[in-house]
Amino acid sequence: MLWKNTRNEWIKITSKIRSYLGIGALTVLVVVVQVALKADGGSFISYVTASFEQTLSFNGKILNGNLVAFIVLQMLIVHVPLLIALVTGDLLSGEEAAGTIRMLATKPISRTQIVLSKWIAAALYTFVMTAWLAFLSLVVGKFIFGEGDLIVLNSSGLNIIASDDLPWRFALSMLIAFLALLTVSTLSLCFSAFAKNSVGPIVATMAVIILFTIIGTLDVTVFDAIKPYMFTTHMAAWRSVFEVPLPWDAVWESIVVLLVHIVVLLGITILRFNKKDITS
Amino acid sequence: MALISVSNLSKSFGNFKAVKNVSFEVREGDVFGFLGPNGAGKSTTIRCLLSLIKPSGGEIEFFNQNLASNRNAVLSKVGCIIEKPDFYKYLSAYKNLEIFGRISGKDLSKMEIYKFLDFVGLTGREKDKVSGFSHGMKQRLGIAQTLMHDPDIIILDEPTTGLDPQGIIEVRNLILRLRDEQNKTVLLSSHQLSEIEIIANRMVIINKGETIVEGSVQELLEKQSLNLQINVMNESIFESTLLQSFPELKYHKVYPHNYHVEMVSDTSAQLNEKLVNAGAGVKSIVPKRSLEDFFIKMTEK
Repeated sequence: MLWKNTRNEWIKITSKIRSYLGIGALTVLVVVVQVALKADGGSFISYVTASFEQTLSFNGKILNGNLVAFIVLQMLIVHVPLLIALVTGDLLSGEEAAGTIRMLATKPISRTQIVLSKWIAAALYTFVMTAWLAFLSLVVGKFIFGEGDLIVLNSSGLNIIASDDLPWRFALSMLIAFLALLTVSTLSLCFSAFAKNSVGPIVATMAVIILFTIIGTLDVTVFDAIKPYMFTTHMAAWRSVFEVPLPWDAVWESIVVLLVHIVVLLGITILRFNKKDITS
Repeated sequence: MALISVSNLSKSFGNFKAVKNVSFEVREGDVFGFLGPNGAGKSTTIRCLLSLIKPSGGEIEFFNQNLASNRNAVLSKVGCIIEKPDFYKYLSAYKNLEIFGRISGKDLSKMEIYKFLDFVGLTGREKDKVSGFSHGMKQRLGIAQTLMHDPDIIILDEPTTGLDPQGIIEVRNLILRLRDEQNKTVLLSSHQLSEIEIIANRMVIINKGETIVEGSVQELLEKQSLNLQINVMNESIFESTLLQSFPELKYHKVYPHNYHVEMVSDTSAQLNEKLVNAGAGVKSIVPKRSLEDFFIKMTEK
């Protein structure tokens, strides 16, 4: 019954216009960034490399598909959660608002299975969004800008990664990005179990992300104890994959924290939905 | 055999007791009327029966199985419409039935889904989105949805609410067909009391969350006095005939030329004959015995 209802949930997601809004918006955003970089990428690169020009000499094709993919991911990974929450925040509360939850909850399928099937469908949608983002940024980026080594400036300094060392790093970074976005999906699904309309969960999800991000960037010692456990701290963990050497401990820690968030939030959702009196 | 057995069911929302020790039985083959004024606790009781709401106390059994511990097995044999059937408006009628059929415990072929749509008179509208359906069409689609997994019991909560007269007749006829053609046991909650009188064979009345009375509709009605609304041309002949020939009857004038007569047993034919022979000028005699009177009496207690 779980898989039958998962199939139903996927049909529902793919039949709603709002599900395509996210994919459409993502496509437009990526294309706009790529067109802008194609038109004036040189200035952008000069601005970034200006501080190193006295000590380093840059040769070769710095503005390539890999760098464009990295820039696109960095720009958009913050906005994609909103596009995902638009769909996943509606999964339970939307049924409540439309009244279809009554029809669904009187069928011979347990409430736990209803939540799980919705979560699996949400995970699938999140994966599709992540994969689409990867395709647009990497495949289309390489098609437009060509292949080349990746120069990244991050916490460990300036890293130059050979192009043949990049495919697995992009794959791993996408996997971590997927886990981060799945945490957002699960959070909005959780809020959805407490709400009676879809606006509340979407706004609440974004509010939490913004609040946690602000806390994460505030250099105040009182928050230091909780920062390592906030999922927003680990949402940018995909960037660590482009450090040399790769900080495996930090990567694993991020993966574990995100997985724990997913499990706990899903547990709260199941508990809440099982206890809920459906009176709408 | 009791297909549904409810014993001392109660449900509280905070300090408010919506249902207090409600008990009743629905037997195989019944069209069971579930009556009560607005706010009596009907919808809460029905939601408890369908596990939408967790009861605060009492027992619910379907097919001699406890609902709480056999939820999925029980619900696989129950079809229902709660208040109004809400569907996924962005999907077609066919797709909605396919989706609900898939989780009702029976995989249906395309032909079977078309058969159910035909049963409720929606042939030709299969591929139309539900967003364009009228309330009556949604109600009929709701009935198709309840039948897909061939349930033994169908629970309908206020199925005619919001329908126009034509829609009410259509839904009423569908309920009768469920009983007559498909041998379904139906639990029907309604505030259309006249409808219950026409359709149901047994009923329970609840008020303020408590059971008032349960029994056969026929027997409960027979306990009631028969009221007649009589319209005559000659008031003095009418009153003198009643005094002379039927001194046991109570009557009062409702408005000029119109009388309300209360009978213990049905002697309306003899009364009519006497009045006509006496020249009272009988224009109409309308029997008024109905659940309306019974219901009002019961809930006023």
